[in-house]
Amino acid sequence: MFDQFLIRKDSLSNVYENGKAVGFKFAVRIADYRGCFLSLHNGYYINCDGTEYPKSLQKFEINGKAPRDFEEIKTCVWEHWNYDDEGFVHVAKEGGLKPGKHTIGLQQSILAQYGYMPWDEEWVKNPPEPGSGAGAGKTAAICTFELELQEGGC
Amino acid sequence: MGIKRGVSLYSYQQAQFFKQMTWKDQIVEVHDNLKTDGIEIIDEAVIRNYPFPSEEFIYDWNNFMARYNMKAVTMDVYLDVHQFRDHVMTHREAAERLKNDIKLAARLGFANVRPLCLVPTDVIEMALETAEKYNVRIGKEIHAPLPIKPGTRVQPTKGMAAALDFKMADQIIELADRTGSKHVGLVPDFGIFQHSPSQVSIDYAKRHAKMPEAIDFILENSKDYELDDMYTVLDEKYPGHGIDMGTVERMSLHRSSADPEDIIDIIPYIVSIHGKFYNMTEIPSKPGCYEDKAIDYETPMKYLRENGFDGYIDSEFEGQRDQQDRGVEYLVDEVEQVRRHHEMLRRLGGEA
Repeated sequence: MFDQFLIRKDSLSNVYENGKAVGFKFAVRIADYRGCFLSLHNGYYINCDGTEYPKSLQKFEINGKAPRDFEEIKTCVWEHWNYDDEGFVHVAKEGGLKPGKHTIGLQQSILAQYGYMPWDEEWVKNPPEPGSGAGAGKTAAICTFELELQEGGC
Repeated sequence: MGIKRGVSLYSYQQAQFFKQMTWKDQIVEVHDNLKTDGIEIIDEAVIRNYPFPSEEFIYDWNNFMARYNMKAVTMDVYLDVHQFRDHVMTHREAAERLKNDIKLAARLGFANVRPLCLVPTDVIEMALETAEKYNVRIGKEIHAPLPIKPGTRVQPTKGMAAALDFKMADQIIELADRTGSKHVGLVPDFGIFQHSPSQVSIDYAKRHAKMPEAIDFILENSKDYELDDMYTVLDEKYPGHGIDMGTVERMSLHRSSADPEDIIDIIPYIVSIHGKFYNMTEIPSKPGCYEDKAIDYETPMKYLRENGFDGYIDSEFEGQRDQQDRGVEYLVDEVEQVRRHHEMLRRLGGEA
């Protein structure tokens, strides 16, 4: 669902700390027709210009709060990601991205379900790795985006 | 009386996503252009900050529905068993979510809630007292690939179909009869009368298949194989095809999961109906009249009409998701699709 619209096209920018680029970020929407309890959000498969950036390098910014890593997101069991709302995915990368066009392959992992499934106990112990297709919700494909790095960022 | 028409705002999910229509715009469309009053919602799509909406949201919702004299028919509720992440939700916890959803539905004026077909029957039974107290009926969904009557179809052993209980409708009827409760019943989804893959989903599958000929193979040979065997044959004939199980399941569809006549016996238990559809096209011999070529509406609606069903069929458009993998110029017009669906509902429902 929303394959070509999961990332906002003009949202890619570098992230700076103390004047130094420490990574990049882009705006995403939920790949579903409903929002979710934030705890269900299990990170992303991200491939930028041929390099994969695992969940451990990712943070998620939503609900007006500072970016949180996915270990913290996992504990947000009463907070909701509303269907209407955009979130920002932050990816750690020393020096950020170079100016110009970048190709990002993305798969979102949200452990939303319609009830009990045979793999439930396994998912508590070992949540699926984003990119495998398991836990990818309503958009199982890895979607590809050509994005131009925007000036500025913060 | 007769069959009533409504719309699940699910149908306008894409317009909501792109912020072209708010839930208020959607309700006005149903009122002004479809000339009807039934409204169904997805709780986690419409209720801002679910499950803790503000008092302002609740008042605004009830006020807006009152302004246009609309009827809150059914609220679709969910069961995400991984919410707590450190354990799989127990059935008692699942019942707590359902009870909370029932109370929320009552505050928003809904007559019914729709739990999904994977929600265990004992969870529904645990929430029944709350449903009685708040006067909200629980309608469990009969969604494809479920049949209405068990024993009429072979259940696959893989994929989503394997996790479902094909005796589900009977279990709910047994619960209603045993307790004598009028607050538990069924929400059949017209997808159970879908007999072939929709053209929009075939087109999507082909655009994304490494070997589109493998999709053609499924379409041409689905009648000759049970689903489990299709997975095997496909791997043999097209090694490395990469088609996921859900797509194989959708492309293999060649017979509806329920028999239309089976709906007659469950009419007393129907809470409301989902009018699922994917692609309304004009009937070649009938200008201005529309149909979904993949779903039989005519036969089940005839049975519903002849047997006095007077509840709501709420349009549930689902064709948009198969047309969102390209530019904006390929996006479907949901408003137009739902208007066409209501032309059909009016005609088949016997409204002049």
